[in-house]
This record gives sequence, C-alpha cells and structure tokens, in this order.
Amino acid sequence: MKRLKYILLSFVLAFGALSSCDEKLDINTDPLAATSADPNAVLPFVFVQYSSRKVTELGTRIPDVSQYISDTFNSPKNGNTSIFLTGNTWGMMYNQILGNLSLVKADAEAAGPTSNNVNAIATILSAHIFYELTSLWEEIPFTQALNGQEFPSPEFDEQEVVLNGIVDMYDEAIALIDSRPAEGNFAITANSDMFYGGDMASWRILANSLKLRALMMLRSGGANVDAQINATLNQPLMESNGQAAFLEYSGQPGAQNGMLTIITAFFGPDNESQNVFGPGDPIDEILRGSGDPRYDLWVARNDLPAPGIDQFPDPSTSVLSNNIIRATLPDMLMLPSEIDLYKAELALDGFAAAGSADENYRNGVRNNIKWWGQDIPGVIATVSDAEIDAYVASLAPPTANDVFEQQFLASFLMPVRAWNEVRRNQFPVLATPPASTISTILKRFNYPPDEVGSNPNTPANKNTDVPMWFENL
Amino acid sequence: MKSKLTWMLMPLLALVMSFSYAQEKTISGTVTDQSGEPLPGVNVIVAGTVTGTQTDFDGNYTIMASTGQTLRYTYLGQKTVERTVGASNTIDVQMEEDAEALEEVVVTALGIQRETRTLGYGTDIVKGEELVKARETNIVNSLQGKVTGVQITNTGGNLGGSSKIIIRGVSSLSGRNNPLWVVDGVLINDSQTPGNGSRISGTRDFANGASVINPDDVESINVLKGAAATALYGSRAAGGAIIVTTKRGASGEGGGAQVTVNSTTRFETLFRTPDYQQEYAMGSNGQYDAGSVGFDWGPKIVGQTVDNLPITGERGPLTAVPNNGIDDFFQTGITRINNFAVADANQRFDYRLSLTSTNQTGILPGSSLDRITIGLNAGVKHNEKLESRFSVQYTTTQSRGTGATGANDPNIISYSSFSSTLDQRLFRPWIDESGNQINLVTANNGNQTNNPFWIRNENANDRDDDRIFGNFQVTFKPWEKFSLTARVGADLQDDRRLIENSKGTVGRLFGDFISDNIRRNELTSDVIATYDTDLGEDFSFNILGGMQYNSRIFERQQIQGVDLLIPELFSPANAAQTIPVRDFAESRLFGIYGSAELRYKSWATLTLTARNDYSSTLPEDNNSYFYPSASLAFVFTDALGIDSDFLTFGKIRASWAQVGNDTNPYLLNFNFNPVTTATGQYGLNLNFPFNGALAYSASNTIPAENLLPEEQTSYEFGLDLKLFNGRLGIDMAYFNNKNENQILNIPIPESTGFAFRTQNVGRVDQEGFEIAIDATPVVAGDFSWNTALNFSRVESEVISLTEGLERVVIASAFNSVQVVAVPGEEFQLYAFPHLRDEETGRPIIDPNTGRRQAGEATTLGSVLPDWTAGWVNSFAYKGWSLYATADVKWGGVIKSSTVESLQTGGLVKETLLNREGTFIDTEGVIVTRDGDGNIIDRRDNDVPLLNAQDFWTSLNDNSVAEPYVYDASYVKLREAGLSYTFPSDMLGDGFIKGLSVGIEGRNLLLIYSEVPHIDPEATLFGSGADGFGVERASIPSTRSAGFNVKLTF
Repeated sequence: MKRLKYILLSFVLAFGALSSCDEKLDINTDPLAATSADPNAVLPFVFVQYSSRKVTELGTRIPDVSQYISDTFNSPKNGNTSIFLTGNTWGMMYNQILGNLSLVKADAEAAGPTSNNVNAIATILSAHIFYELTSLWEEIPFTQALNGQEFPSPEFDEQEVVLNGIVDMYDEAIALIDSRPAEGNFAITANSDMFYGGDMASWRILANSLKLRALMMLRSGGANVDAQINATLNQPLMESNGQAAFLEYSGQPGAQNGMLTIITAFFGPDNESQNVFGPGDPIDEILRGSGDPRYDLWVARNDLPAPGIDQFPDPSTSVLSNNIIRATLPDMLMLPSEIDLYKAELALDGFAAAGSADENYRNGVRNNIKWWGQDIPGVIATVSDAEIDAYVASLAPPTANDVFEQQFLASFLMPVRAWNEVRRNQFPVLATPPASTISTILKRFNYPPDEVGSNPNTPANKNTDVPMWFENL
Repeated sequence: MKSKLTWMLMPLLALVMSFSYAQEKTISGTVTDQSGEPLPGVNVIVAGTVTGTQTDFDGNYTIMASTGQTLRYTYLGQKTVERTVGASNTIDVQMEEDAEALEEVVVTALGIQRETRTLGYGTDIVKGEELVKARETNIVNSLQGKVTGVQITNTGGNLGGSSKIIIRGVSSLSGRNNPLWVVDGVLINDSQTPGNGSRISGTRDFANGASVINPDDVESINVLKGAAATALYGSRAAGGAIIVTTKRGASGEGGGAQVTVNSTTRFETLFRTPDYQQEYAMGSNGQYDAGSVGFDWGPKIVGQTVDNLPITGERGPLTAVPNNGIDDFFQTGITRINNFAVADANQRFDYRLSLTSTNQTGILPGSSLDRITIGLNAGVKHNEKLESRFSVQYTTTQSRGTGATGANDPNIISYSSFSSTLDQRLFRPWIDESGNQINLVTANNGNQTNNPFWIRNENANDRDDDRIFGNFQVTFKPWEKFSLTARVGADLQDDRRLIENSKGTVGRLFGDFISDNIRRNELTSDVIATYDTDLGEDFSFNILGGMQYNSRIFERQQIQGVDLLIPELFSPANAAQTIPVRDFAESRLFGIYGSAELRYKSWATLTLTARNDYSSTLPEDNNSYFYPSASLAFVFTDALGIDSDFLTFGKIRASWAQVGNDTNPYLLNFNFNPVTTATGQYGLNLNFPFNGALAYSASNTIPAENLLPEEQTSYEFGLDLKLFNGRLGIDMAYFNNKNENQILNIPIPESTGFAFRTQNVGRVDQEGFEIAIDATPVVAGDFSWNTALNFSRVESEVISLTEGLERVVIASAFNSVQVVAVPGEEFQLYAFPHLRDEETGRPIIDPNTGRRQAGEATTLGSVLPDWTAGWVNSFAYKGWSLYATADVKWGGVIKSSTVESLQTGGLVKETLLNREGTFIDTEGVIVTRDGDGNIIDRRDNDVPLLNAQDFWTSLNDNSVAEPYVYDASYVKLREAGLSYTFPSDMLGDGFIKGLSVGIEGRNLLLIYSEVPHIDPEATLFGSGADGFGVERASIPSTRSAGFNVKLTF
C-alpha cells in the first residue's frame, strides 16, 4: 500500500509538471518572424519581388499587346484581361511593393533627416509603381491609397491627378536627397539597393528622368506641363548606359530571368529551339533590311519570315534570339535612350531646352544599340562602335514618326513602357489581333475582382478598348 | 482477372467440401419471455462457433449442434441463457428480463463510458468488424456509407493519399472543419501537411494524420456529431469528434492466449476509363503531329504511312492503339494486408499485441506503399483500488511514387496524357546505360515530351512516415464511489519526404529536389475525478471533474536543391542553388471541465457539462472561454410503462450546447517575415539571397486586436426507437447549429497596402436531419437478413460575412475556379459561365468567329451534397455471410478539368461529331443590339466555326468552366463480400479454433453518375483544404477485389 502511494504521488507530480501554470500559455510569438525590419532587409524584397512578378506576369503575357512579341501565353490581347493577370499585378504593386515601401517610408520619416536617403528611394520606387498602375488601369487609388486607417476604402483618382501626384513625389524625393545631412546618414548596403548601391546622385538622376517620363504622359493627355518639362530638362538626366536603372540577374538558379525560365520550365533548353517568343510584326517591319544591328542581336533565323500576329514561331519563321532571351537578361526599368528620344520628340515640338532633335535622336539610337550590343550585363553577341557609328550616321534626319519608331524599339522587352509608347504615339499603327473581341488593340486592364469585391469605391469597368485619358483621343 | 480469382479460391473451396457433418443433429425448441410469451428474434448460437440462428415470430428455432456443445441464447433486455446439448433433440428456454442488459455502453468524450440510454445526443457506433470488411489502408474510407451525417472525400487512386471527413456539413469558413480524432482518450493529429509546391505548380497529396489508425486494432469508432456530445472538448469541438477505442486483450475459448491471423489480398484495376475515340490521330487541324500527346485533332486514321511515327520517329503506317494504351501503362495494383494478433487476459491483466503489415503496389507504375503497424494494449488490475493501462501504436510507412496532381508539373499523368496513336509499349525502355532519358515523344517542331515511364520510375515522390501514439493511464478508486484517473498521451509524427526531378526531365532539365522533414507532436494529459452516488431510491447522481493540458507543435525544415551536378545525387552540396525553408508553430491549451449527471428511475437523465479553456493562441488577458452544455434523455417506454412487442424501447433526447473552434497560433502580432521566394506567374519564382541580399517582407494581413475562438451554439432533438422486439431500430435526429465569430482573414482593398485583416465576423448555420434504420426483416431457419439504411440531409448555409463583403474564397483552384462562401448559400463553385441570352438561356455566339463567349464569373452551384445515404446489407446462412454496402451522394456540383482536357484534346468520343464537315454550334444564338445595347433581334446561330477542333478548344476560352461543371451526384456499390466461417466441429480438435475465408471487393460499381469519363468522387483538394467540387488531373481511382482468410488459434 505504501508503494502504491508513491507510485500515485509520482504520477501526479509528473502530470503537474506538464501542466503547471499560466506561463505555459505565453508562447504566442512566432520564433521565425521579426516585429520590425531594417530597410536594408525590406528593399531587396521590393526590388526582386517587383521584378519577379513583372517579368513573369506582364513580361510573358502582354508583349503581344504592343506587339513587340508575336504571341504569348494567356495574353489579354483579344480583349479579356484575366482576373489572375490583373489580380496578381494589382496585388503585387499595391500590397507587396507599395505596402512594404510605405512601411519603409514611415520608418524613415520617424528616423528623421538621416534617413532621407532611404525615404527618397522608397518615394521614387513608389512613384514608379503608381505610374505603372495608372498605365494599366488609368484611374487608381492614389491620394487615399496606403492609408487604411483613415481610408479603408480608398477612392480612385483621375489619371491626370495621379500623374501630377507622381511628379510631386519625384520632386519630394529630389528635395529629400538634396537635404541630406552631411554625416550620420543611414548606411544603405550595396546589396540592398539593387540599382545604384546607395549612390544617391544616381537616384537623383533617375528621379528626374522618371519625372520626365510622367510629364510626357501628362503632356500627351493634354495637360500644360511645358514649364515643368523645361525645368526637368535643366536638371541632370540620364545620358549614358552606365546610369541605366535595371535589376541584374546573375543567371544562377533562383536568379534567372523569367523570359527564359518559362521556356526551361515548360518546354526545353532555350527559345531558339523551343520557339516560344518570336518577333512581333512591327519589330520585323522596322528592322528587316534596315541595317540596324539590333535586328541580328534580337532576331534569330531572321532570313525567315516573322511568325505573324497571334502566331507562335516555328522552325519556318524567325524567332527571338538566345542572345537576349537568356537567364542573365536584366529587367530594365529605364534606359537613357528613352530620355534621348523624349528630348528629340520635344525638340521637334519646339522645346529649346531639349536641344537638337537630330542629335538627341541619334544619341537615342546609339545608346540603345550600345545597350543591347555592348553595355547590357551578360552581353553575348556584340556590336562594335564602328558599326554603330556607321548605322547612326546613315540615318536620315528624323520625322516625328521616326522618333516614335525608335521609342518603340527602345522599349523592347519593357512591357508597360512599350504599351504606353504605342498608346501615346499611336505609332507604329498596330493591327487589331484576328481573334480579338474588341475593336482596337487592348487599351486597359479591368479592375481585379479582389479590389472590386472589397472596395465599394472601385469604378465600373470600362470596355478594354476604351482609350485612357493620356491617349487624348 | 475474375477467372484468376476463382482459380485461386478453388483449393479453399475444395477444403470446405471435404469436411464432414457426421456428428451433428437438429435441435429445435421454443423461446419464451418470463411471462411465457414467445420471443421472436432471439439469437441462438452454438458457443465457440459462428453457427447460429434466430427464433421466428412464434419463438421457434432449429439449429444443428452436436451432443456436448453449448447453445447460447441472447436477446436485448434479457439475461443470456446457456444450455448444453444432451440426448434430447428439443430444448425450450424461458428467458428472464435483465435490467442491465439494455444498458449498452459506449465510449464518449474524454474516454468516459456511458450507457446509451442515458445519452441526450445521438451517437453512431461503427464496430471494428465493420472496418475490416474489405479493409482500407486509410481508415477514413472505411466509414463511407456507414455513418449518418458524415461526408467523406478523397483524391482518387493515389496510394497513401488523404481522405477528408466532415461531420454534419461545414461549420467554419476558416478551414477548421475537420473533426477531432481521439484514440483511447488521447487527441491525435489528423492534419495533412500540404504537399510540396501548390496545386497550381503541381503537388502531391500525402495522407492525413488519422489514416494510420489500424482498422485491425479498432474495437469501435464512435462518431460524436453534436455539440453536446463533444462539449467536453470545448474550444476544439465544433467539427465533431471521432472517438476510437482500440481492442483490449481477451482470453481465447476455454482460457489461454487467443491468436488471430487475418490476411487479405486484393487486386486493383482502373475503376472507370474514358470513352476514348480511336478514329482520329494525334495532331492539330487535321494535320498529324507525332508530338501531339493528349491532343488528337489530327487526320482520320486510315492506315496511312507517315514519316515519323510517335516515339520511334520511324516511317510506317498510322494505327490506333486500343483504349489509347492505358492498359499498357497502368498496371494491376496489389494490396496485401496481414494482421497477426495475440491476446490474453485473466482477472488481473489483459494484453493484446498486434502486428500488421500492409504492402501495396499501385496502378501507377512505380508506386508502392509499405506499412508496418505494431500495436500494444495492456492493462493490469493491481488490486481493487488501482488499475493501470498502457497502449501504443507504432506505424512506419514508406510510400513511393505518389502521383503528382494539379498542373504545371511534368510529373502529372492523367487520363488526358494518352493519345489514340501513341503506343505506350514503345516507351520501354526509358533509360539508357548512361542514365539518359530515351524514347521520348518528339513533335514535328522538335519539341519533346517526357517518356511517362521515365517520370514514374526515375523521379522520386517518396514519403517515409513514422508515427507513434499512445497513452498511459492510472485509475485509482480509494472509495467505492470515487475514482481518480490520470492519463498522459502523446502523438509523435516524423514525416520525411523526397520529391525529385531527375536531370534530363523535360521541363526540369537540370534536375532538382525537395527534401522535407516535418515533425508534429501532440501531447495531452488529463486528470479526471468521478463520484457516483444515489440520492434516495429514485435518484442517482454522478459528477465528474477534470483538467486537461494539450500542446501541439509543428515543425518543418525543407531544403530545395536546384540544378544538380551529378544526376542521381540529392544532396544540397550537389545543387547549384539550395533554398532552405523553416517553419514552426506551437499552441497550448489548458482546460478545466466538469459534468454532472442526474438520473431518475433509470428513465430520465439530465447531463450538464461545463468546460473552461485557456488558450495560448488568444490575447493573454482575454484567453479564457467557457463552454456549457445540457442534454436530456427520456426513455418514455419505461416512464409510461409501455410494454409491447411492437414498441420495445423508445427514447426522446434533447440537447443544447456551446462549443468552440480553436484558433491558429501567431495571429495576433504584426510581423516582418524573412522571405526566401519572390513569387512569379507559373511558379517561375526568384529566390533569396538574390545578388547577395536577404529579404524581409511585411505581413499582408493586419492582425486582430482581440481574437475570440469561433463559437458554435447548437441544439438537437432525437428519437430512438426499437420496434418488434428489437428487430427494427429507428434513430432520428434533427439538429441546428449556429456558428458565429468566424475567424476570417477578410479581404480588404489592396490599395490600402494590405490584403487582409483578421477578424471575428460572419456566421454559418447548419441544419439537418438524420435517420438511421436498422432492421432484421427476415429470419427463417438458418437464414437471416440484416439491413441498415442511413440518410442525412445537411444544409450548411453561410448566413453572413461582413458588411460590404460579397464573398470569401475558401479554396482556389485553377483557371479562375474557386470555392467561395456567399451569404445565403452553401459553399459555392465560383467560375466563368458562357455569356447567355437572358431570355432563351442559350449561349450568345460571336458572329465573327462562331464561338461562344465568356460571361461574368458567377456562382455555379453548391459544392456540398444535398443529402447522403448509405445502405448496408448482410445475409447470413449457417456459416455463410454475404454483405454489400452502397452509398449515395446526391446533389452538389463538380468541375472536372480532366473532362475538360479530354474534350479539348479531342480524345473522347463526343468530339467525333462533325469532324470532317462544317461545324456550327447549334445550341447558340446570335443577337443583334441597338445603339443602347438592347437586344433587337435573335436568330439561331448560323456562323460556322473553323472546324470541330475550334469548337471544342474554344469552349474554355477566357477561363470558361461551365461546360465542365456537372451534377456531382453518384450512387456506388462501395463494398461487397462473401465469406464462410467453418463450424468448429469441422475444424476438429486441432489447434485451429476458427477459420473463415471470403472474397471481397471495394469501389465495385458506379451505379449512377452524370459525370462522364471519370470517377465523380475525385477531388483536387486534399484533406487539408476545404475545397470540394473541383477535380483536376486526379490519379484514376481503382476498383479492388480479392480474398480474405481469418484464422483463430
């Protein structure tokens, strides 16, 4: 009987040890997550997540809208913008990118002027995202966005309001950069700023250049922004490929451009053998027989006809070259050729501050060919300076359409920008795809169901062939 | 197949025939009750054998028995009587009423034993022997058709796949609808850790946690359905509970050890195959293409010679392969289940040791499952005051070659991966001496498709799972009426997976692997004190108090390796890039509970229970919740003194209860999470470190400030009747549950920078009716027929979400197909229909193309059935027993992507229509509109499509799902078997005490379904998700048939 008591006692004690006290319940903190994060840890997410989604979603699905690629999988070109295309893009931009950037910005504001550099980077990237959002959907939440506390259902702003706000954001960023204290600045690590490694002078040039991009849209829409354009032209802008803004892909597994991995994941080793991406008709028409070195750089089997609109390439057609559809293809946000060609366009329209139309036009062509044939990271086939000079010298003085054509070429593999250029310039003139259910090329995305379902202020969807304000049609 | 089986059974049948019946004689007699009235339906068996009969309506019986054998007479409510057969051929018996006998005992919540008559809620007991008829390797499937109010779904013919069970419909919008599983009083995990990747990038459906419970070791399963039944489990009880009691040791006939051997061998074949067309070849638009796998829109097969035959690339005549070669690809699966158990008991101890081996090879080449289960259950009665008990089950499972499901994974093989002119036999061999893939399919344009045997044999889909659960329990009874029980139970799971794409796999050319180690631990301890007392002559009182501590840990470490140097080496160091993932979650629960049971004269019982839970997952200063219940059982036949042969027993029951639904850990803090993957479309992701940088991202969900558990308030009424002296039993229940405080991640406008906010909102109601009928309609001599019918109708209606929110996505599939919660409806399938003319309902045709057009996404019907039913029949004649179970699921919809692929690929017979001629979609209508968009004219569609291919392939343009949405109703013959138990005298005095042999089959026949080509039961979602009603590239389900031998020593 005594032994029994001991057995029982020890059992009760053992049990008691398992279920002793309230402290046992205080375990509800995720050991694998942080409650705050350094901007150096958040910025890489922003750069890479933006690129990852943009390249694989927009980069592989909408190039046949602006027709720099002949046909793509799950494309909205026929008028129907799938809820995945729109939902994924909207969610990435607002939630993953702007959401994180707004937290970085709030953090930097709280830290004061020593974090102006981080604040400026977050502001510039945010402004760029808003620019892409309005390029895809026209009216978007802007003034009430990213402030769920005060505006749980943000209202949508007109495109002109958004674009003006974007211009203001770039001004704000430039002011932040210009008012950095002499020392004690937050140390941005080289790895975390994937464009410029923390070099704020480069960011200032980018901000000013992106501001010009936004102003060109405002101007296209009919807003009088001449004074702002002149002011911007007088500030440092991108001039050489060394100043280009792009995300570098090392080409290692996990860091390969989605234009290639869509081929390797689903088809085979490369584009030329698998015939996934082919040149769009406008690319073929502009470059074939032009002597432009970009034709050989971009298009393989280019003695064969282009696949044609709404057609994938096959062995009997030309195909985009493995020179460019490769693991190390960088994701380009802005190249200096874009600025050169804006200047050429503005000069033709009489903006004295823009300089010579002819010179800017030639700079634009040269810079862009140099990018693809020399300066692009991981370049394979190269073009010599002599070849470039000879081709540039052969060009006639530009007409407006010549400039537009070059703007189209200079936005190659930049899905949103290319779409903006063909809508802004209405040139090259694009044929409506044969199976299209709308009257023109696609002009806009519909709002994604998630926003429609949760935000009562979402405007009704317009038909996807209704032009945006900036087209000024 | 059939002939082979018969042949195998021949020796056994011959054995049967060679026994003699020489010493037996016929005994007859009449059985009466204590008042001398004849008693029909009394069971009369020869003790130690299974020879038995029942008395007829006049109480008469006849039975074969030998002199010296004992006849045992049993009847509900009467004391058992035994008589030894002597010289006389007549034995009349008068039985005596036994007040105790009616008190059938069941195991309820927390392992508490209760008499059925005192329960104020319905219970559904499935006996162990029901579970081992045509044994399943996933115990959940064994319940199919046998229990009211449950719905069981599985993902098809995958070996080691998961099965999901929900009880009385869905109660939760947040995915916590699975019931609690309890083995011998201890909570065990039934979680399914999702496979690697997503359904969109291809995944593997690995088993749910409860699947390892060994049916051979189960004494009974009690399905606790209502909140009152589960109330003592408090905050985790809203999904119901499944209480498993394992077998305890018992001594054999005449004392001594009892040894049983139970052996089953079954063969699996495809349950249903598509109606493949065999007239047109692979290709597109009438042009032959040797690489057009699963796309048979090529030319008519007329024996024409082509330059490049599929696979071989040789010149030769194009011919159709019978049944598209699926019989050359899928193999006959074999299941062997062998159980050996030894048990013994005396007055002090009982002991049972069981060893089960399960060996399966699947219909998919390269798939197998091997499992060993060791179970031990032992108890000792140390003295009158102290008892202790120990039980443990260890299971080790190796599954190989699990099939991939979903999309975008080169390893997926479904019915649409076959073609009319693709001869599967030419795929062998699939590998050359240097380890390269050979005999691939090469298209006209040079694109290659994998050799399916390479996929099946070279790419690993392995899971090794070790599982131990068990408990230790001590009961101390210091006084007669007081007892104290302490119980500690643990459930440890160690789940290791290796998923691998060998170098050279098209689509994963560089080779990759995922090595995934998952650990789940659950620890539960209880201390329970009970006190019984009589309060005067008519009242008795029983109280119980206790406390429980429960802790759950989930831990996962995964390494993904990409781009392998050496092909067959799956070490991180052999991969150019490795992506590690780690996950951890822990939650703890502390509960105190009590119950009081007041009985009046054995015919009225009022039970009150209360439980208070303290949960680690809730805000610290607000983590305590109270769950009450009350139930009443009223045996009106006793109370009113009804004593008739018609109405033998009648009970009314009523209950009310409030229970909860637990919350996940870590929902309260706003976090920045380290990120290893930047997601892209088509699973084309980037990984961190990227260019040397690590990454953190803010959570996209705004946490709840004050989170409460989900709350279920439920009431239930039931009626339990036994008629005609127990020959007919009817059990009816009506229940109504209100589920509030649903924990939801409410989508908020992403333009706020966040995507969700966690909140307690919304309500789901369940209302339903269940009836179970158990009858013995025929007893004639040695023949008896028992039939059990159950019917359940449950409606789970989403009452409200939150203001302004139209719907919530419960589960997302592909191509814009979702399962959603919409107020006022059951869970709905949400997808794109065709654009239809409102007036005529016909699809509006695009006059430019002749094609149908996409409409706006909408709800296309409930994914839950209207009602389910099961019908179990068993016939017994002497030692022969024949049984069959059929089940019905009626209502609900299913969207089948396999059918979609079969049709868009031109693989099936319906696509033969108008292949050569002009194709006009005659169902369609062309409308003309005025400037305001109003329809001013309608005409029958007269615009031809390009061809038949254009019609079928454009049907799903712009993600339209409607053509592939079917009524999911089905009627199935679930299981059937015939067995023969040898009478003991035939076995002689040898050491074999019992022998029965039988043939059995599962999933035998699809009696009714409107879904073409596939098993309508298949679902895409595993048990871990609340998705129903969507099928995609499921592994074909199987029909199995085989035989069983059971020996007792």
